[in-house]
Amino acid sequence: MTGRVTGRVRGAAVAVVLAATVGACGTVSERRDDVREATRAFQQHLADGAYDRVCAALAPGTVEELEHSAGSPCAEALGEEAPPRGGALRGVDVYGNQARAVLATDTLFLSRFDSGWKIVAAGCTERPGQPYRCRIKGG
Amino acid sequence: MNRRAFVRENGLGLFFTVTFLLTLVGQAVAGHADFNNQLIAEQLRPVGLAEYVTTSDFAVDVAENWQSEYLQFSLYIGVTVWLLQRGSPESKELHKGGTESDKDQRVGEYAGENSPKWAAASGWRRALYSHSLLLVMGTIFVLSWLVQSVTGVAASNEQQLRQLQAPMSWSQYLGAADFWNRTLQNWQSELLAVASMAVLSIYLRQRGSPESKPVGAAHDATGVES
Repeated sequence: MTGRVTGRVRGAAVAVVLAATVGACGTVSERRDDVREATRAFQQHLADGAYDRVCAALAPGTVEELEHSAGSPCAEALGEEAPPRGGALRGVDVYGNQARAVLATDTLFLSRFDSGWKIVAAGCTERPGQPYRCRIKGG
Repeated sequence: MNRRAFVRENGLGLFFTVTFLLTLVGQAVAGHADFNNQLIAEQLRPVGLAEYVTTSDFAVDVAENWQSEYLQFSLYIGVTVWLLQRGSPESKELHKGGTESDKDQRVGEYAGENSPKWAAASGWRRALYSHSLLLVMGTIFVLSWLVQSVTGVAASNEQQLRQLQAPMSWSQYLGAADFWNRTLQNWQSELLAVASMAVLSIYLRQRGSPESKPVGAAHDATGVES
């Protein structure tokens, strides 16, 4: 009886660990795919000049900062100074709810919101030992 | 064994297990609030408690404390084999430094009827069992430290990305200030607590505690516990 119970407990524990591991891997994989898709859509909206959609792809804090610094609505501000088109996607880094997408000629930073992954910063260039310098970013 | 007798005979283990779980829950609640304060300040999406306890931020905070506690006890178990402290109940008597004789340790031919089987065995079984406590505690320390490094690099990288900085690899993180700051701030406090216990217990007493000498024991009485 004790052996059977111990066996059952052990089996349940193994199942929980496996489920957690598989679940975690699946989540990471899904998040990477979601970040790639958000990046691709953002690039497409930029290429189309669809600034309303570009604005919808930005994080709320980034839209707020953009409008505040430009003194005009988001789409209008982007019309004056849109981030560059980044080219081919070279790779993504996803940690928790934050991500970086490295493109051929641009780098994006993204964050996950209830409505999906949003662009926190775009038009970013790397500076050794310092935060990226970004053309648009949150406050 | 009835329930009351079980609780009385296992009170120490039960008390620390229950208080461990309660404080872990408390840490999760406080850590969740702290984590969300940072996210809200950066205009990012706050997370729910259930999501927070699966984050690397929570995991690294748990693991960094676990590894230091297991290091403390592993060191205490190992170092007190050889190092002595005159007057301390935490030390063996001054002539007993080392792993002691088979007779003193009741192993092999000196094992009694109630001794664990592997204490009476010969070869690797006895050798393994003779160091099993240190081996298990040391293994938990190493694994906890490994978990700290893995969850630490993930938590650090999440923060790096929030600050628009590039993430780093695990090997880079092993040389990073964050990893060693988390590690050493825990180690120093554990080592201070052990040093305090070893020395203060020479002169101070707690009546009834097995961690203290009897109240009337002499200050230079070594290896004496209540």
